[in-house]
Order: sequence, then structure tokens, then C-alpha cells
Amino acid sequence: MTEGAGGASPESERAGIYVHIPFCLTRCGYCDFNAYAGLDHLAPRYLRAVVAEAGLAAPSWDGARVESVFLGGGTPTMQTPADLAALLEHLRATFDVDDDAEITTEANPDTVDEPKLAALLAAGYGRLSMGAQSFDPVVLASLERIHQPESVRRAFDAARRAGYENVNLDLIYGAEGETPESWEHTLGEAIGLAPEHISAYALTVEPATPLGRAVAAGERPEPDGDLQADMFAIACELLGGAGYRHYEVSNWAKPGFECRHNLGYWERRPYLGIGAGAHSYRENHRWWNIRPPEEYMAQVESGRLPVGGEERLDPSDAYLEEVFLKLRILEGIPASWVDEDVAAPFIESGLLEDEFGQLIPTERGMLLLNELVLALTGTN
Amino acid sequence: MEKSTSGPVRAPRRPVPWDVVTTDTSHIRNFCIVAHIDHGKSTLADRLLEVTHTVEGRAMRAQYLDKMDLERERGITIKAQSVRLLNDGYELNLIDTPGHVDFTYEVSRSLEACEGAVLLVDAAQGLEAQTLANYHLARDAGLVIVPALNKIDLPAAEPDQRSKELADLLDCDEADILRVSAKSGEGVPALLQAVIARVPPPVGDPEKPLQALIFDSMFDPYRGVITYVRIKEGRLPSRARIRMFATRVESEAEETGVNAPDPTPVDSLGPGEVGYLVTGLKDVHHAKVGDTITLAGKHGATEPLPGYREPKPMVWSGLFPAEGGDYSDLREALDRLKLSDAALHYEPESSMALGFGFRCGFLGLLHMDIVKERLEREFDLELIATAPNVEFQVFKGDEVTVVHNPAEMPEAGEYDRIEEPIVFATVITPADHLGAVLELCQSRRGEMVDMKYLTTERVEVHYVLPLAEIVFDFFDALKSGTKGYASLDYEPWGYQDAKLVRVDVLLHGEPVDAFSTIVHRDRAYPYGKQMVERLKELIPRQLFDVAIQAAIGSKIIARETVKAKRKDVTAKCYGGDISRKRKLLEQQKKGKARMRRVGRVDVPQEAFIAALRVDDGSSKEKKK
Repeated sequence: MTEGAGGASPESERAGIYVHIPFCLTRCGYCDFNAYAGLDHLAPRYLRAVVAEAGLAAPSWDGARVESVFLGGGTPTMQTPADLAALLEHLRATFDVDDDAEITTEANPDTVDEPKLAALLAAGYGRLSMGAQSFDPVVLASLERIHQPESVRRAFDAARRAGYENVNLDLIYGAEGETPESWEHTLGEAIGLAPEHISAYALTVEPATPLGRAVAAGERPEPDGDLQADMFAIACELLGGAGYRHYEVSNWAKPGFECRHNLGYWERRPYLGIGAGAHSYRENHRWWNIRPPEEYMAQVESGRLPVGGEERLDPSDAYLEEVFLKLRILEGIPASWVDEDVAAPFIESGLLEDEFGQLIPTERGMLLLNELVLALTGTN
Repeated sequence: MEKSTSGPVRAPRRPVPWDVVTTDTSHIRNFCIVAHIDHGKSTLADRLLEVTHTVEGRAMRAQYLDKMDLERERGITIKAQSVRLLNDGYELNLIDTPGHVDFTYEVSRSLEACEGAVLLVDAAQGLEAQTLANYHLARDAGLVIVPALNKIDLPAAEPDQRSKELADLLDCDEADILRVSAKSGEGVPALLQAVIARVPPPVGDPEKPLQALIFDSMFDPYRGVITYVRIKEGRLPSRARIRMFATRVESEAEETGVNAPDPTPVDSLGPGEVGYLVTGLKDVHHAKVGDTITLAGKHGATEPLPGYREPKPMVWSGLFPAEGGDYSDLREALDRLKLSDAALHYEPESSMALGFGFRCGFLGLLHMDIVKERLEREFDLELIATAPNVEFQVFKGDEVTVVHNPAEMPEAGEYDRIEEPIVFATVITPADHLGAVLELCQSRRGEMVDMKYLTTERVEVHYVLPLAEIVFDFFDALKSGTKGYASLDYEPWGYQDAKLVRVDVLLHGEPVDAFSTIVHRDRAYPYGKQMVERLKELIPRQLFDVAIQAAIGSKIIARETVKAKRKDVTAKCYGGDISRKRKLLEQQKKGKARMRRVGRVDVPQEAFIAALRVDDGSSKEKKK
């Protein structure tokens, strides 16, 4: 399946590369990513497969300038810095990666120390995205995270000492047992560390996870949407007050530190996903790799692109994506796209703002983005 | 397995095994069985077919005479039937009667076709209201009663006790009460002998002009309208030009015959005889139960038999297709159902909330239930039924308007008075539960007529009650208040003045016509409260607070609020999430498109169905 990626790319095409490393120390109950605990023994072979896939994919991305690389998982930092450095080196050798590209790796606080982080930075991983989740031990336990609040502080300090100047902390709110006060405390701790970027996600119960099954069985409560809405407001207030700009529903950054790679997704720029289950996108064509690591590797080793499926967006699909993604990043959509009387009630009720002809969701509107999208794109 | 349910059409024609053109009526007995549901009427009918060799063992199946699937499933008879049995040179016509209060008029016409009735009572359970009501009908029709206790072989049977109870009621000797087990057949031959000995033969003059009573009428897709008739006077030849008195319709009759038990053509039916007539008509509305058939032209009778009544709907409800587009399918289904159901009324109705549908009139709750179930089952429709209501008479000056739709109810002050239908209700209850029964009837605006101890532990109570109260949830309340032991029967009893109000339900200030109802002033608050509480659970949160109010005119009597939805957004939306996310949005879009809009409020289809679900008793009764 290369036809979509096979056309001549414009000289100026800017793209991102995502690399998926699916190995984890443990599986968290809420996580529905393509991630596996206990498959570490596959890692060396898997990394070779990733490099091989990059080689197979490269010809169709000839001429594209890679502005960002994002290493996600899983827990990429379970691999040695040397392996990760080699991986990046291969990518640079295979693709036209900008010298000043934003290169991020996700990191689990328990898997990094100062020397390791220094090595990663030296290898070119200039941005670190750390899964802190919470500074409340009760919430961490409820999320089945194995680390303690203390390890986040320690890992963060290690990153700073190693020289990192662009660090993100991931936070999750609305887990069972979390109160607005506890969330305020977590935000305060995070702000106190002064990372350049903070992602704050409302806990989402996915059906195909242990948490999802426990909720369906009535063993655990469903997250309270109203409480999460309160917590969202708290995040907006505290993070905004601390100088972070809210630039996507769940993302805040100090000016200039917005994640360029993720903006690529939201601005519908092309991206190449490498690794098991990774998604790629280019000009209304989306395709994704085989999810199970074993099958993924076997396919690559036989010299074929490990594509598991694809879709072509027709104009209405593309329009729907355009609208909901633009609304997510607060860029908004031109008011001219929508009938005035459709938008008017949402402006009146304070869910949308018309800023110089762009319809932009307000803080309350962001929380009801699905409803906004449905209303603004019509229900037919 | 015999599967034919279409009447005389496709049955094999056999030689007539006995002399059916006899004018000697002394060897004819016409009788029916009066019994409560589950007291064994159909089983006894099965045994009678066997004992008289009318149906041989091989062809026998349970509930032989109940031909509709619904009849078998519910254990009730909806349509009347007759079957001819031969015993000792006697021609015995067993006329099966419908067994539900909704069909009281049909029962009375079936009784008119008989000279005697077997009063069948469960030896364990004793008399029930329905038995009693039908017994009174039978006695009023001048029938000879042959009392019998059934299920005497049950461990719980108390034949002596029940015998006493029955003898007391009938004012007869306990020795006259037969004891049978319809299940085992014990006592059945003796019962047959008693019918022959006690029930008088019919009388009638073959020379007089024809008067044939229609006691059932059905539509057969192959042969058109088939009526079951009892010849009172004169003779009905198999082919003749006939005339219906009430509808004044004439037609060429195609065939006369008897069920023995399969339809068997005969040359003619004479006085006192019971049989079927293929009328040559195409619409049951032209040959209604209770009407008289005579010959067209100068040989016809000049007077009909007494007692004809137009079928009159007692309970009304709106039926709407769950999918708006099915309106024309529903119309077609009703048109077809009406061919075989002369009691069904309907007229187009449009609801802001539910779209286009029909206002339908039914004989009662069971009839309503049956019609709805047949529409859904036989025509594959999904329906929403609005809360059933009775018909009101609204008086203003000299004008009387009949209102059977809450939407047509005039505002207070625009009329002088309103009358509502009332019924004469019979309740039989164990004495232990008498208190609960009296309390229930009082609380439902009942007026006690009288009360009588059938035995020391069973009481018969008569009340005049508004029909609207029975339609509400009376049967459920009665059953739960008496641990299921009380039984109920009722018959129309005219109209009375009533303090009625229309309760509207408003969503965000918009009235939802489908939820409007007319209730007694005292019931307005409980109804309003129940509806707003139910709807609070059923209406999904919207982008704004939704007030749910119940109101009488402009006065709000109950209120709940569905708080505005505050969060509906995906937390994470990265490279691998976008496609799934878009599909979710498309799903959500489809869900929204299926919702009905009331003002600004989106209401899911299911909310209407659930909010309108009334535990009306008929649904429980069928499971009894």
C-alpha cells in the first residue's frame, strides 16, 4: 500500500515522524494505547524492524522536510540511550530531518536518571515529555501508576541538571478519589517545577481497558463529567495565571514552547508513523500499521510495508476533521463557514466567540466541543 | 399439526355425516361455557371434542378452538367460534365465547345464540369476578345454567366448599353441581348428559321469514367476510341474496356450513341451528356482531332481532410509528386490520412531538394491547402509543362535543360541564383483603353499590367507578393490594359529571402534546409529578438547563430540571486518534438526527416510549 504515499512530493512539504515503541514496565488500567508489558525481549529485534520500516517508507517521502520527530509508546526510555541514539541517527540518515527539528521522547520518571537524560539530550532528543500524571499518591494508585510523586520531582530535576530546557509534564485529572483540592495541589506542584509545557487530560474511560471493564461491571465509578469540568476550569485558571498559554483543549505552554509535532496533527500536516500500530497521514489519505508487534516485525522483515489499513477522506470527512481540529487548537473556523443563525445561539450562550471573523471556542465551549462541532457542521 | 386458521376456506369438503336439514329441533342443544381465565374452559372444550369423537386423538391439539396465535399465547379467546358435536343422536353446538371484559357485548351476543351455559368454576380458586359477570349475563339472557366444578383432581381443590359457594349463588341444590376434571376427562361424559337433559332445545319456525343473529364476524383473505350465525326463525339456504339489517347491505351469500370441527358445507341452516355463512361481503363493517341477517326482497323479515349495538370504543390512544417514515405503512396496516376487526376505530392525528400517526379507539385495554401487538407482529412496525384515555362528553349550552384526544379538550371556562364514562365493577376478593379493595375503590372515586359474602372468606363487591380510573392502573393496584387474589370485571354504566383537567407537560417551556392527558383534578398532581420525574431520567443533558414542567393551564404543578451538560469533549486527540474521533462524531450525528425536537430540546425516541409506558394491567393480565 504505497500508492497514496507514492506521488511526487512538493519540494516544500513539511512533515513529522512518529515512532512507536510499544514496550512498558506495566500496563496501566486506563491505557488503551498499543503497549505491552513483558515483551522486552523483543526490543532489539523491534528496533531493527523500525529502522527497516523507515528504509522501506523513505522513497515515498523523498523531498519532504522533517520538522519534528516524536518517540512515543509505550515507554521509549526503557531502551538504552545508545539504542535510542542509534535510532535517531538512522532516521536522520534516511530522511531529510531539519537541523532544528523538534525531537521529543516520552519518558517515564522511573526509567530516567541524569546520565541517561544527558545522553539522550546529546543524541539530539531536545524535548522531553514526562508522564507525571499526578502529585497525589492516592490518584497515582487509583491510576495504577507505579511511581511516586517524589520520583517525578527527582526525574524533573535530573532533566534540568542534564540540560533540558524544553520539558512537558503530562497530568491526568478526574480519577476516582481525586478532589478539586487534590487537583489544585497537583497543578501547584507541576507549576512549581516550572516545565515549559503542561498537558492536562481528563481521565477517559476506554471500553477495551481493565478500567473500562471495571466501570461497565459497576465495580468502579464512571468519572464525573461535572467534576472534571470543574477541574478543567481550575487548570485554565491556575495554568493561565502561571503564564502558560492554553493552545489546545488539553495543552498549555509557555510562549514559543507549543509542541510543533502535535500541532502538525491538528493542522492536518503530513506525518509518517513508524512502528507497530502507528498512523500516518498525507493529503486526505490515512493509513496505519499492523498493531501486534510480532506481526508487525514479521511483515517488515519480509521486506513489505507493514500497513494494516487505510482510509481516504472524502470532502465531507475532511471538512469534519478540519473543523474539529481547528476548534481544538483555538484557531477556530472562519465565521463564513457557518450560517449566522446556527452560530448565534452559541455565541449568545458564551460557548463561542467571534474574533475578527473567526469562531473560537471559549473555555466552556472547549468542554463541549463535540456538541459545537455537531452543531456547526450540521446534523445531516 | 393443523395450521389452518383461515376458517372454512381450504378445509377438505366431506360428505355431511348426519341429517343437517332436519326441522326437528328437539335433538339440538346450543350451549356455551362460562369460566374465568385459567379455569379450564379451553381444556374442557378439547375434552368435549374428544369424548364425542368430533376430533380424533391424532388430530387433537391443545386449545383446539383458539386459532389465533395470540389467543393461545395469552390463554384467552378473542374470537367466538362454534363447533358441532354429535352425541347419542343429539346435535350439540358448543359456542365458544370471548373471555375478557373488553368484549362483554360480543359475549352477550354469543349467549343469545344459546339456550344453556355450563358455568365452570375452578375447584381450587372458586368464583371469580369474570365468571360472575358472565353468569349474570347468561342468566339475564334466560339461559339454563349447568354448574360444574373443574380441576377436582388438584391437591388444592376444595370441591365441597366451592360447591356450597356455587349452590348459594345459583340458589340450587349442591347435588346439581357436576364435578369434572377437564384435564383427565373424568366426569366429562356426565356433563354432556346433563347438558342434554337440562338445556332446552331451541324453538323456531322454519316457515317464518329468516332472522339469523350474527354472533361473530371475521375476515378471510380468500373468501371475504364469514359470519357465525344462530338461526332464530326461518331458514338460511346456502346460496341466497341476503340483507343485513343494521348496515342495510345486501349481498349474494356463497355458502352455509357447520364446524364439525372442520368447516363442512350444508345445504341450509334451519331454525335453532348454529353455523357459518360465507357472506360474499368484503368488509366486516358490513356484517357486524349483533346484527340480524335476513333474505333480501319481499321474503325478508321486517324486524331485526333485538339488542344490536354499534361497537363503541371505550379507550383511546395515539399510535405513532417510531420511525416517522413508516406512517404510510401504519395506515396500510390499520386498513388491513380493520377488515377483520369491526371494533377498531382510527383517524389521522398529528403530533408536534411524534409526527404523523393515528388516534385509535378500542373496546378496552386488552383490545388496545392486542391491536398494537398485531400491528407490530403481523406488519413489522415499531410503534409509540400515547397514554390511553377515555372519551369525554363536553357540554356547552345545547351542544355536546365528544372528546377523545387531550389535545381537543377545551380550556377551562370554555364549557359548562364535562361528563366521563363510568362502569359498574364487580370485584371478588378474599375477605382478608377486603379492606385493601375498599380503600382502593374509594381512592379511585368509586361509589359502593353493594357487598355480599359469597362464603365466610370470599366477598363480592360492586362499585360504580369512572372508567378513567380503571384505565389508569387500577388492575395493577388491585392485584398488588390483594396479593393477586382479587378479580375484576366491569361493564359500561353511562356517564357522570366530573371535575376534569388537562395536564400538559412542558419541556423548556414548550408543551409536548404527546404527554398531555385529561385526568380528574385529584389525579393531576400525581400524574404531573410522575411524568416530570420520569422525564428527568430520560431526557439527556443539553447545552442549557432544561425545565420539565407539568401544568394545568398556566399553573405549574410539578417541576424538575435537567442540568446543562458541561463536558463533551475528547481529552486526547493525536495522530492515531483522529480517525476514530471523526467516526464517533459521525455516530453522534446520526443519534442526534434520530431524536425528536421539542422547541430547542432534543428528545430521544426511547424517551417517548419509556415515558408513555403505562402499567395498565392488561400487560400483567396476559401473563396471569
